[in-house]
Amino acid sequence: MTDGKQNVDRRAFLGDTLRVAGALGFVGIAGFLAGRKSRGGELVWQLDPHKCIACGNCATHCVLDESAVKCVHSFSICGYCELCTGYFEPAPISLTSGAENQLCPTGAIQRQWIEDPYHEYKIDQSLCIGCGKCVKGCNAFGNGSLYLQVCHDRCRNCNECAIAIACPSEAFSRVPGSDPYLLKRREGHA
Amino acid sequence: MQNRLGSPVLGILILAIVLVAIAIGVAAVLRIDLWGDRGSGLPSRFSYDLEAFQKTDPAQIGYRETGRISVKMLEPRNVAVGPDDKIYVAGDHAVHIFAPDGQRVRELTLSQAPRAVAIGGPHHKTPGRTYVAMKDHVEVFDAEGNREAVWESLDERALLTSIAAAENDVYVANAGGRVVLRYDVQGKLINRIGDRDDLRHIPGFIIPSPFFAVAVAPDGLLRVTNPGGHRVEAYTPEGDLEQHWGKASIEIQGFCGCCNPVGIAILPNGNVVTAEKGIPRVKVYDSEGEFVCVVAGPESLLPTRSANEETRTEHKLKVVALAVDGHGRVLILDPGSRSVRIFEVKQETNRKG
Repeated sequence: MTDGKQNVDRRAFLGDTLRVAGALGFVGIAGFLAGRKSRGGELVWQLDPHKCIACGNCATHCVLDESAVKCVHSFSICGYCELCTGYFEPAPISLTSGAENQLCPTGAIQRQWIEDPYHEYKIDQSLCIGCGKCVKGCNAFGNGSLYLQVCHDRCRNCNECAIAIACPSEAFSRVPGSDPYLLKRREGHA
Repeated sequence: MQNRLGSPVLGILILAIVLVAIAIGVAAVLRIDLWGDRGSGLPSRFSYDLEAFQKTDPAQIGYRETGRISVKMLEPRNVAVGPDDKIYVAGDHAVHIFAPDGQRVRELTLSQAPRAVAIGGPHHKTPGRTYVAMKDHVEVFDAEGNREAVWESLDERALLTSIAAAENDVYVANAGGRVVLRYDVQGKLINRIGDRDDLRHIPGFIIPSPFFAVAVAPDGLLRVTNPGGHRVEAYTPEGDLEQHWGKASIEIQGFCGCCNPVGIAILPNGNVVTAEKGIPRVKVYDSEGEFVCVVAGPESLLPTRSANEETRTEHKLKVVALAVDGHGRVLILDPGSRSVRIFEVKQETNRKG
């Protein structure tokens, strides 16, 4: 018959202590790394240009007076057309920068001659309101190099994005803050 | 006593609250604008509208659709006509061959996606030979469908988009290189056509998007689209520019948008059939470039009214391809409906088309 007491020597006690401390340390380091990762992965709002239908809601539903959504231009996809359908009205009077010929209601696209007959088109983001009219024009006839993006120098990153709620094509999603833009690339182009 | 009086009042109150909650819920659901029909609230000058340009004057339509051949391909890309008016459709990883009445005859299996197809006609060195343009090279099949040759690949920028077989030559349109390449039937490069050359008054091709087409006319000259220039150009086999015509205009006589025409075929009488993207329309011009008539306009080529304002890549209106058979029927490969649509001259009209 035993008295229920266990004999614990000093060596075993130190061994157990070290094992427990090691396990706790491992869990602590894992928790620390997991915590660091989640903090580094802050999410921000962005719209997928392949889902966007350029409905114009971005211009009117943002909580900012001037929307955080702006048109951007992929120069690698652009055809540098003389008659750019993102810049000109469908039936322009002439191929000049006269206001009557321009598609953009705010004159936010700048046209610059490069070499005959190619022209470069740049967005003046201070004028762009994100209505998407040029996006439709570019897509209707051209390569779709003009598209909309949430600009993170303006976006307040609201917990509930007002444009995302209004977006009829569900183009908005949260993306990692470390890679906050969904850019069109030439590989995805037909 | 209080319980007997209070119970009905409480019940009515609960019922009223539930009904109000249901009403609020229904109103909230109805307020959701799932399809964006309510619009953005922006004034009309902020909207893009091509509807006014999607109507064709019925008096200008000289053709009617008389048949349709369904193509069992996910991505049909090009159509051509061979001897005996057999119809060849290239797409996916195959070429499907149909009799003129639409019966499927045979299929050529390919190792990669074809971009264009051409068949040696009765005057070609080897009638019935099939030339298939891949992204950067040409593969050749005999009349029985056996692969005869694989021509040398071009550089990595190459993007072949059209091919045409003449009597002794094969012409390949390379959109990536902005040039038409003239080969002999063995695949030996003879000369380049359309490179910018100020001394020969050749302005060079402007190809903003991957659509560039070539066809051989009965007069022995090539007809090549120059989409960025909004014109059709005629070249000798040696590469001399003999003629050009066409203008940029959204009106029916011109070529619309940034870069059209994107497809071309030649009728037996030498008239030229062109295809446009953006506002899809197929039209006939005489050999001097005078507008003759419309084969098919947006009314028949657009699946929905708003399809050509679509911005989503997978929903974007697909570009049609063209061919003409020996009877002057215009064959339009409609990738949207995955079919070859056959158009013939309207009998009641006396047109040149």
